[in-house]
Amino acid sequence: MNTANNATYGTMPPGLFGRGRPSFELGTVVLSTLALIVLCMIFAPSSISSGALAGSLPFAAVAVIVSLGQMLVVQQGGFDLSVPGAISLSVVISTHYPAGNDAELLPAVLLALAFALGAGLFNGILIGVVRLNAIVATIGTNALLYGGVIAISGGVPRTTTPLLSRIAGGEFLGLGYTVWYALVILLIVAVVLKKTVAGRRFEGIGANPAMARTVGLRVRSYELSAYVSAQLLYCLAGILLAGLTSQPTAFLGNSYLLPSVAIVVLGGTSLMGGRGFPVPTALAAFFLTQLGQFSITIGVPFSAQTIIQALALGLGIAVYSFRRS
Amino acid sequence: MSIASNIDAANTGSHMETNVHSLAEAPITIGMAGITKSFSGVYALTDVTVAFRAGEVHAVLGENGAGKSTLMSIISGVLQPDRGEITFEGSTASPLTPEKAADLGISISYQHPAIVEDLSILENLQVSLPPALFEGRKVSDVAREVMSAVGLDVPLKMRAEGLSIGQKLLLEIAKALATKPKVLILDEPTASLDKDASDMLFERVRAAAAQGTAVIYITHRLAEIRQIGHRVTVLRDGHVAGTGLVRDLSDSELLDMIVGRKLDSTFPPKAKPMLGQANLTVKSLGGHGFSDVSFEARPGEIVGIAGVAGNGQTELMRALAGLDAARGEVKLAGQRLNHKDLIHAAAFMPADRLVEGVAKSFSVRENAALGALEKFASFGFMSRRKEHQAVVDTFRELSVKTPGLEAKITALSGGNQQKVVLARALLEQPGLIVADEPTQGVDVGARFEMYRILREISGAGTPVVVNSSDAAELEGLCDRVIVLSKGRVVATLTGEDVVEAKIVAAAVSADHHAETGAERRADRSRGGALRHFLQSDNAPAVPLLAIMVALALYGYSQNANFLSSFNVYNTLMLATTLCFISMGQTIVLMLRGVDLSVGPLAGLSVVIASFFVNDGASLPRMLTGFGLMLAVAVVVGLANGSLVRYAKFTPIAATLAMYMGLQGISFLMREGPGGYISYDVTAILGAQIGPLPWAFVALIVCVIVGEYVLRKTRIGWQIRAVGSDEEAARRIGLNVNRLNIMGYVATALFVFVGALMLMAQIGVGDPQQGTSYTLASITAVVLGGTSLRGGRGTFIGTALGAVLLTEIFTAIAFLGLSQTYQYVFQGALIVFAAVIYTTLRGRPQA
Repeated sequence: MNTANNATYGTMPPGLFGRGRPSFELGTVVLSTLALIVLCMIFAPSSISSGALAGSLPFAAVAVIVSLGQMLVVQQGGFDLSVPGAISLSVVISTHYPAGNDAELLPAVLLALAFALGAGLFNGILIGVVRLNAIVATIGTNALLYGGVIAISGGVPRTTTPLLSRIAGGEFLGLGYTVWYALVILLIVAVVLKKTVAGRRFEGIGANPAMARTVGLRVRSYELSAYVSAQLLYCLAGILLAGLTSQPTAFLGNSYLLPSVAIVVLGGTSLMGGRGFPVPTALAAFFLTQLGQFSITIGVPFSAQTIIQALALGLGIAVYSFRRS
Repeated sequence: MSIASNIDAANTGSHMETNVHSLAEAPITIGMAGITKSFSGVYALTDVTVAFRAGEVHAVLGENGAGKSTLMSIISGVLQPDRGEITFEGSTASPLTPEKAADLGISISYQHPAIVEDLSILENLQVSLPPALFEGRKVSDVAREVMSAVGLDVPLKMRAEGLSIGQKLLLEIAKALATKPKVLILDEPTASLDKDASDMLFERVRAAAAQGTAVIYITHRLAEIRQIGHRVTVLRDGHVAGTGLVRDLSDSELLDMIVGRKLDSTFPPKAKPMLGQANLTVKSLGGHGFSDVSFEARPGEIVGIAGVAGNGQTELMRALAGLDAARGEVKLAGQRLNHKDLIHAAAFMPADRLVEGVAKSFSVRENAALGALEKFASFGFMSRRKEHQAVVDTFRELSVKTPGLEAKITALSGGNQQKVVLARALLEQPGLIVADEPTQGVDVGARFEMYRILREISGAGTPVVVNSSDAAELEGLCDRVIVLSKGRVVATLTGEDVVEAKIVAAAVSADHHAETGAERRADRSRGGALRHFLQSDNAPAVPLLAIMVALALYGYSQNANFLSSFNVYNTLMLATTLCFISMGQTIVLMLRGVDLSVGPLAGLSVVIASFFVNDGASLPRMLTGFGLMLAVAVVVGLANGSLVRYAKFTPIAATLAMYMGLQGISFLMREGPGGYISYDVTAILGAQIGPLPWAFVALIVCVIVGEYVLRKTRIGWQIRAVGSDEEAARRIGLNVNRLNIMGYVATALFVFVGALMLMAQIGVGDPQQGTSYTLASITAVVLGGTSLRGGRGTFIGTALGAVLLTEIFTAIAFLGLSQTYQYVFQGALIVFAAVIYTTLRGRPQA
């Protein structure tokens, strides 16, 4: 072809994560988080003391892992209500089977992962292949997982294995191990999603499955993979949670469902599916946790926290949907 | 084939109307003067003046994009013209709205019927036609009469989804005829009708005209105009190209008016005849909507697919691209490919760019690279450099104009978006390019670049197949044109014969009608009452009842007290709360929404009550409390609905934020349980008749009334129509936003009633209570058979689902089984039910 023009299409954006400049979503979350930190410094300095952070960050890290799982599902236009069952099941498997015996921990963790794999395949097949509505399928899966939780634990908490407690609760460079795990998982999710062929296809399929089909991509397999990966992430989160809590109850997962969705939405991922935002999602998890700490410190009753979270969520959705329209 | 032979064919199939009686004097029913309409700067109609007279069948002819649909939308009040005046029976009628048009007696039958698939045929008629039509007579008699006018004989209670396309068109026409309109607009009514149905339709049209109706008949087929048209107006590029009495105009005169466009000289030169072997061979390819298509292409040739829109071209293109399975044989460079091979070998450019062509939220680069990612990667990791280079190179070749590679695809003009789609196709290095309407929505400048690029691709040896409804484009671009009519090849033009006139003549003169293959779905419509019941929304009631009874008997066999009046009473009290809340959830789910906030709303309502409805509180104080609960429910419903409809939140996001907010308010009002509910009120709400709670009896009445409203009243049909097919509902004339918001309010009101029962049940204001009803209500509704795809729902099923869930709950407690059984039973039941319902009613294109 001899009609090549000399239009410039810009030079290649540099950097590992670079699209040249940060995304609107990242900017929004970073700014909100910074604003929150400033507010904390002025009105509630104790909420960002190293002691307070050492207490809250590991739980924020667990929320990060859970939310990344939920994000993958949401990217495929889905919605995962089986979060509570999945987390609770891995909590009870990793505490009840070893029953305080360190030697039994590894088999228990492997068992938990195997269950997670099964639950992910179950969800993925129901939704990706049988074409069930994601809400219905994951409600069902959640109940089945809770069936497992009760069958294993009888609903009674059991003390965490010392090894798991060390694995989850130790500190390195002033940060809890759990925070480091979350960062590693975040790095993996971000790199796979943004830097690999599979990740790019995954996002393309979520953005427009009909288009992806005309390009010849295997839409169903990728949808299925979202549910499987999500379950594995919930499982890891549950195991860490079991280590962080001295006597984890059988219903620990319940408190992670709604926040996981709120965090994903605040992180900028659209509930209609498409592009995912791993780093903003992780920051949003920190934001939401810290918002809770902030409101407790300034004397807002624990109860009213969810109102503040709801307002933050509503505002976040409004900002994103205004920008997208 | 020549024009002459085609016109002969057209003439033999027609019989001239001879009883045209002094039409020139017939009064003008609707007159349009100087109508001009543009869409973002592009003129769709320019200075169109035309008069439609009473008692005449006035045909409007023109190619795709000539402005026919715009004109019809203006007459039916859907679009407002920029300039010009509309008169109706002599007086000014503009500005025209859909309501005003309907009042004047203008009725339209759309080419894509506004039929709601989830509603029965009778309900479709009832929701679309004015209520006055049914007054004073048996509804089914009226409906049968309406349908017999178009010779449609299908069971009234059958769901409209069971109709073939042809039957849906007939039903659409029947709706238009039923109101005895003064102006009847028919938009390509025979596109999917067989010969008999077409002839019958012509009878009706003649009869309507004889009674003084002004009929506006849009078509592509000359033969039809000869059969029923009195007068004809030809539109070309938004202008009136000519008008006159049909009997005064010859076919060639009409063709000249339709075509008549000067060809632009900017098409690239065509391929020189080559000696090489054909590199693309298609042999008796057949599939959904087309059959027995054969052609071949030599290297350098561009193959065009022509025909009036909707004659199988799209389906043929999809089969060639490997997207749909097809019978027959496709050989590429001598190799036979099945449809799985084709999907990888062929690159497809879809006609509807926004639906299948691009990912709107993605950047230009991401859209372009998606099909060829593996080419820019090593060990699975993308190389930004390779990707960037390849995309830039391709964009240079195609002269894509974009603000940058990272710009959003939607920031580009239609033409440049299409170039990005083409860039994606090229980056795949395909063996075949299948381009469906490649210049649709593409500006003139980019259009000619598109032609040049396609020619270059073809010249480089990659076969190119182009479908276009613009015959002039095919003439300029293609070396070989296959003309389809009703899914079959009616002409194959090559060399000198590839001219617009011959293409159009072949497409519009074809007179053979659709095979009755389209009727096979109608088989499902036959069958007795049992069959109708199995298809109905209430079918799940039977298995649910069976499971309930079986569970009750099993419980009884294990422990006779399971059916004691005490246990029955308790179970039903619990079930009543869940039932009411689930009935609310049913409404939003039918509207294709969801309401996650029902649980916390119920909880908050009880917390509110715990401040007012206490022992010793005065009656006014209690009433204030109830009033407040009611007000909160209405506000929550309005807020949910408005967030979803106006702020464009997804239903999940909107009601999730509401969920958290309401729960927070509950905790703000009470940190823990407190505020005991008045014993008297609890006693009244819990009063019983025999073993049954009064509240449960009230519930049954509510369910029956609700079901009646849903099935037998206008508002019920409207809600289901909106949930089933928003677009069709809008064209029927329903206010979609208002109905949706009303739905969310109705949901909240049911939750209010449920909260009264919850109040009696827990007897204290507790901010922790209530939230579990969100998931429980969705579970109950799904068990009951309501579809989350919207449009189908049943209160009876929901009630049974809720009672069953509660029964499981009490049975497990009663039998001393572990909670495990409760969860497993519940989970298995919902998954099982959902799989069965989804499989049984799987729509063809779900």
